[in-house]
Amino acid sequence: MPNRIKWSPGPAAWTDDLTPIASADWNYDRAAHLLSHAGFGGTPSAIQKLAEMGVERAVQSLVHYESIPNPKLQPFVESGLWDPTLNGFPESRPEATDRAIKAGASMGIDVKPGGNRPIQPVSDRFFYWLRATMLETRRLGYWWANRMLQTTHPLEQKMALLWHGHFATHENKVRDYRKMMQQIDLFESYATGNLRELTIEVAQNPAMLYFLDAQYNVKGAPNENFAREVMELFTMGVGNYGEKDVRECARAFTGWYFDNLAFKIDPAKHDDGPKTFLGRTGPFDGAQVLQIIFEQRVTSEFLAAKIYRFLVRDELSADLKARLGAILRVNNFEIKPLLTAMLISKDFYSAASYGGHIKGPVEHFVSMMNHLGAEEIPGVPDFNQSTIAMGQNLLNPPSVAGWAGGKAWITPGLLIARGNVARDVLAPDMTGFRDWNFAAGSDGVLGSRLRDGYDVGAATAVGDPRNMSTFDMVALERDEQFNTRISGYIGWQQAARKLIPTPRRPAQIDLTRMVLEGEAKTTAEAVDYLLWRMLRVPTSTATRDTLVDFLTKELGTDSVVRARSYMEDALRMTVHLIMSTAEYQIA
Amino acid sequence: MASRLSDGSGVSRRDLIRLGAGGVGFGLMGGLGPVPYVLAQASRATAASTSGKILVVFEWFGGNDGLNTVVPYGDPMYYRHRPTIGIKERELLKIDAQFGWHKSMRGIKQLHDEGKVAIVQGVGYDQPSFSHFTSVSYWHTAAPNSGNEYGWMGRTATALDPSGARANMIVNITDSQTLAVKGANHVPLVFIDPTRFQRGVFAQEKAALDSLSAPNVPVGDAHRYVMEVTRSAAQASDVVRAAWNKYPGRNNPDLRLLDLDKVAALIEADFPTRLYYVPLRGSLFDTHVNQASPHDRQLEYCADAVAGFFQEMKRIGRADDVVMYIHSEFGRRVPENTSLGTDHGTAQVNFVIGNGVKGGLYGTTPSLSNLVLGDNLETTTDFRQVYATLIEGWLGANAEQVLGQKFERLNLFREQESHA
Repeated sequence: MPNRIKWSPGPAAWTDDLTPIASADWNYDRAAHLLSHAGFGGTPSAIQKLAEMGVERAVQSLVHYESIPNPKLQPFVESGLWDPTLNGFPESRPEATDRAIKAGASMGIDVKPGGNRPIQPVSDRFFYWLRATMLETRRLGYWWANRMLQTTHPLEQKMALLWHGHFATHENKVRDYRKMMQQIDLFESYATGNLRELTIEVAQNPAMLYFLDAQYNVKGAPNENFAREVMELFTMGVGNYGEKDVRECARAFTGWYFDNLAFKIDPAKHDDGPKTFLGRTGPFDGAQVLQIIFEQRVTSEFLAAKIYRFLVRDELSADLKARLGAILRVNNFEIKPLLTAMLISKDFYSAASYGGHIKGPVEHFVSMMNHLGAEEIPGVPDFNQSTIAMGQNLLNPPSVAGWAGGKAWITPGLLIARGNVARDVLAPDMTGFRDWNFAAGSDGVLGSRLRDGYDVGAATAVGDPRNMSTFDMVALERDEQFNTRISGYIGWQQAARKLIPTPRRPAQIDLTRMVLEGEAKTTAEAVDYLLWRMLRVPTSTATRDTLVDFLTKELGTDSVVRARSYMEDALRMTVHLIMSTAEYQIA
Repeated sequence: MASRLSDGSGVSRRDLIRLGAGGVGFGLMGGLGPVPYVLAQASRATAASTSGKILVVFEWFGGNDGLNTVVPYGDPMYYRHRPTIGIKERELLKIDAQFGWHKSMRGIKQLHDEGKVAIVQGVGYDQPSFSHFTSVSYWHTAAPNSGNEYGWMGRTATALDPSGARANMIVNITDSQTLAVKGANHVPLVFIDPTRFQRGVFAQEKAALDSLSAPNVPVGDAHRYVMEVTRSAAQASDVVRAAWNKYPGRNNPDLRLLDLDKVAALIEADFPTRLYYVPLRGSLFDTHVNQASPHDRQLEYCADAVAGFFQEMKRIGRADDVVMYIHSEFGRRVPENTSLGTDHGTAQVNFVIGNGVKGGLYGTTPSLSNLVLGDNLETTTDFRQVYATLIEGWLGANAEQVLGQKFERLNLFREQESHA
C-alpha cells in the first residue's frame, strides 16, 4: 500500500491568518480539505487533480468555474402538472370553493348544474394542485441533488445551497414548484456573483414575493413581513435598525408584486412619498432601500460571516469577521474575491478549520455518494425521505430563517438517522421499499373504501363501514356542496397519474473494486484506505481496531485478496460503521 | 403525595426506579451512578430537587392571538378594534362578565372550570420585537433584547442538577433542537418520531457499533459535541422506543394529543425527565390573512390535546406531578388588518395548567383604550415572572440563578411555599 500523506491540518497559529499559504504547504490532504469544504468532497482522482494544480490554480478552478464544461447536467423534465387556470391559486380551500359559489367556476373547473356535491370537482382541483406541486417539488429536490453530485462546478452548487437556506422560502407556503425552480436558477446564476444584485433579484423573485406577503404590502396599508426579514435575516442582522426603519422600508417596497412567474410593479399601490430610512430621507423605492442597506458596514460583515460559517467553520472571531467584511466591501460585494481570499488563506487550512464544520444533511448525502464512488443520487432510498430524516427538507426550510446549521444539525435522533441513511444507501431494501410519491397516506384508507364500492358517506365515516348495516350506511349519505376528505384522496390520484416516476435504482457502488484499486492487501489496509478516503478527521485507534477486527471476522481471513470474491457485503457494513462515527459527521 | 412510597432515606420508590435501581432498564442511560451512589447522595435536600415535579412547556409558535382566545367581550373597545374578526358574545364560552373563551377552547375551559388553569394576562417584555425568530429567541433564552448561549430550560436543568449527572433531564419533542433546551451540562433528548429513533443494524454489526461511542481526542468543539451526542444517542434510543411501544394511548383514536403523546408515553414509563419542551408543529397561529378559520382549527387541536394529555396524566396517576405552561412568542396587533387577519403584536395571554395550580386570572388586564407602540397591548407581566414562578414555585430551583436577576413571582401554585 502506498505511503499516503495522512491528515495534515496546519498549525493552530494559522487561525485567523488570511495570508495565503505557501506552495510548499500544499499537498493532497489540503486539496481534500478544500474540496470537502468548497464542494461535496470527491474521489481520490478528483482530489489528486487539485493537488497537482498547486493551491492558487486549485482555488481558481473552484471559484472561476464558468469556462469549465459541465456535460453531465440535464435540464429538469417537468411532469406537466401545471396549466394557466392555476394562476392565482387560492390561498385556502374555502377561498377556492367560495370563488366557485360566486363565479360558477374556479381554477378552470365549472360548478355542476345539478346533482349532489355540485362543487366537488372544484374542491378536488384545489387538492390536486396541493399534491401536484408538493410531489413535483420532491422531484425537483432530487434533480438538484444530482446536479450537486454531477457538476464540475461544486462551489457553484454549494453556494446555491447556501443562498437557498439564506434567502429561504418554502414550497409548503409558496405552493408552486415552478417558482422554486426559478429560485434554484437564480441561486445558481448568482452563486458567486454580486451579492447586492442577488439580493435585489431575490426581492423581485415571485416565490419570495409570495412567501413574504408582498401582495398585501400596499400604499396606505404596508405589510412589514419582507421589510423586516430583508434586514434581520438577509443583510444586517437584528439590532442594527429600528422599528421605524422597518415601517419605512415596507413603504418602499409597496406595489411590488408578481404575476405568474414575472415580477411586476403596480405604480398605483406604490407609496412614492418620502421615507426616512437608516438616517437618510428620500422617496425611496425597494431597490434604493437595498442600496442603502448595502452601504452599511454591518451588512458586509453579516454576509461575509454567513459565507464563512457555511464553508469553513462554525465559529469565527469578531476581528476575522470584520476583515472578511472589508474584503466584500472593497470588492463592491462581488463574492469571488472573498471566496478566493478565504480558500487560499492559512486560516482555512489551520487546525481550527479541520473538523470545525458539521456537515448539513444535503451536503452530507451528496458527499456520501462521492465517498462511495456513486455517480448518481440513488432512487432507493429516496433522497428526500433520507434528508428529511436527517433534518433537512430541501426546498422546504423550516422558516424564513432557513436552517440553523452547526450544532443544531446534530441531536441523538438526527445522528441515529445519519447512520440509518448510510445503511439504506449501502444495503438498500429493494423488496421492502414503497415509493411514497405513490402513496396517499391516511387518505388511502378512504380510497380503498371507495374502490370497495362504498359511497362517500360510508367511505368517510369514522367507523369501519364493513361493520355497518345497510340502513346505517344509507343514513350516512347526505346532500352537501362538496366533501373535502374525498377531495384529499382524489387530489392524490389526479396528481399521481401525471407525475413522472422517480427512477428507483439504488446507488451503484463497488467497494471490492475500490479497496483493491486502493492496493489494500489486508483487512487492516482496507480499513485504513476507507478511513483515509471518507474521513476528514481521524477516528480513535480503538475504533479503527474494532473495524479491522469486524472485517476480519466477517471475511474469515485478514486477506482481502483471498476474500475478494465475497467481501462486498462485509465492506459495506464496515462503511456503514464508518459513516456512523462522530468523525464522519464533520469536515 | 400518596402515590409515592418513602423508605425513610428521602428517596422515594419511584426515584429509585427512575435512577436505575428498579430493574426496569434505565440503567442503560448514561451518567447514572450505581445504586450505592444514589443512596449516598440521598439527603433530604437532594430529595427535594429530584422530586417528581415535571414541567411541560407547550410552545404555541406563530404568535397566538390572545384577544381572540380569551376574549374581553365586556369591553366595547374590543369590537371597535375588530369590527369583522371580533368574536360575537353569543359564540363565546363565558368566564365572567368581562371574558369568554373562544369556542374552540372547550378542552382547556373544562380544566379551567375544575380550577386548574391560571390565565396570565399581558405577558411580554419591554421593547418587544415583532419578529417571530427574534422574539422566540428572547423567550428561549429569557434574555430579551440581549442573548444567552443557553436556553432557560437548559439553565434550569443546570440549577436542578449542577453536575449534569442525571441523564435525560430534558426532552424536546421536535425535529430540530429548540434553543430553550440548550444547556451547559445536559444534552437534551430530541426526537419527533420514536419509531425512527433507533439505529438500524445487522446482527453482526451490533458489537462493533456499540464500541463506536468510545472516546476519541476531540480536534475541536464541533467534534467534541458530536462525540457527546453519539454517546447519549446510543443510550437514549432504546428506552424511548420501549416507552413508546408500551404506551397504550398510542392506539387510542379518540386521543388527539398532537406531540404531547410522546410526553405522556415517557412519563408513563417513569422517565427521569423533569423538563419537556414541545413546540407546536405545522402551526396555523400566524394569522395575517382570513384569520378565523385557521385560528378556530388550531385552537381546537391544541385545547383538545391539552385536555387529552391531562386525562392521560390522571389515568397514569401523575396528574399531581405535572404542570403545563403554554405561551407564544408574541400576541397580535389589537386592530384587525385589511386582510381579515392580525399582524404581529406584543403582550399575550399565557396558561399554566395542572392540579397544583390555583385556577384564575393573574396579572393586570392590558387596556384596549390606551394602546402602545402602534396599536399594541401594553405588557403588564414580564414573561420572566412566569418563568421564575415555574422554576422556583414548581420545580424548586433557584430562579435568580437561572434568570440572572430577581423577578417577582406570581402566587399561582397551591403548595408554592413548600417547594420554594
